[in-house]
Amino acid sequence: MEQLPESSPALAFEKDAFQLTVEDVYDISYVIGRDLLKISNAGEDVSELQFRIVRVLEMFETLVNKYNLSLEELKMERDNLKSELERILGDSSSGHGTQMLGPNKLVVDLKDPNRPRFTMQELKEVLQERNQLKAQLLVAQEELQLYKSGILPQAEPAMVEVDLNSPPTNNPTPPITREEAKEEKTTIKKLFSFRRK
Amino acid sequence: MAKKTYDLLFKLLLIGDSGVGKTCVLFRFSDDAFNTTFISTIGIDFKIKTVELQGKKIKLQIWDTAGQERFHTITTSYYRGAMGIMLVYDITNAKSFENISKWLRNIDEHANEDVERMLLGNKCDIEDKRVVPKTKGEQIAKEHGIRFFETSAKANINIEKAFVTLAEDILRKTPVKEPNSENVDISSGSGITGWKSKCC
Repeated sequence: MEQLPESSPALAFEKDAFQLTVEDVYDISYVIGRDLLKISNAGEDVSELQFRIVRVLEMFETLVNKYNLSLEELKMERDNLKSELERILGDSSSGHGTQMLGPNKLVVDLKDPNRPRFTMQELKEVLQERNQLKAQLLVAQEELQLYKSGILPQAEPAMVEVDLNSPPTNNPTPPITREEAKEEKTTIKKLFSFRRK
Repeated sequence: MAKKTYDLLFKLLLIGDSGVGKTCVLFRFSDDAFNTTFISTIGIDFKIKTVELQGKKIKLQIWDTAGQERFHTITTSYYRGAMGIMLVYDITNAKSFENISKWLRNIDEHANEDVERMLLGNKCDIEDKRVVPKTKGEQIAKEHGIRFFETSAKANINIEKAFVTLAEDILRKTPVKEPNSENVDISSGSGITGWKSKCC
């Protein structure tokens, strides 16, 4: 409870105008009402003044109320915007390491060990090399099998082959039968592939 | 004469949306095995399998492409060398079927004009999740004048049949040559006659 019941409502007069609450307005009303009572007890007719003061205090109450409500609304709006901003910032950083900036643009998180680092051309080259080595391994395995089974004599050159031409070369890579024709058969070879048209 | 392990080399290519089972279809054919774990193919891979058709040993080099859009510049560069292309969709995935027309356009754009095409509706063992009726697959295949099979890499349905049929179709178009005879004159009368009889 109030330690100074007499003086505490009067403190409302000392407050900053923008800090006033509706309770302060009631305190002010109380003090003014008490003072008016003192005057009327002294025999003065203050009833007209009393009504006017009540009216002013009511207007004061409305204004303080309205001001505080508006302030409260603005604070809430501010807090909402703040949390919205935090949410968006959080989404973009914890997302998938990348974020759309605009059409066809990506942001890369440099701390992500799985971030994209190699170009499509590099991947293409690595894959081509992998597939060539794989093809060579298969050929070597087959040859080894032939030597083991004694089908291929030691001195003979191996004729096993897999077409290693990587697709970007311009050859449409015809069947091996055509490729194996000797050099001097080139013209015939050409004729042979053309006549299928 | 050196002994060869095969008479002809055919290059085949598998295309279709990511996850339809291209790698599984190939793995079933090449290794007669199936793996349920899904590992997305990176760019392009291949497997080799030799089959015997009409007394000829035919080595199939089968290129397996990544279905993901991000690898398209790599995968489309492999279309040109292909003699046969398998277009694969998933009968439980409507989108993969809708995209078949897109894959067909890719073939028109990037592959040889005379490439043999074949349509495969994979995962046909999962009948209760089917969303693409068999008739729809048959219809689109008919419209484009290509063969169609419903397959299951998991249950080993029509896999071998599809590859062998595609290889046979390519063989039918391939000029005839004496097997194992590298020095034979391919312009000789017998060669041409042989080719003509196959062609006409």
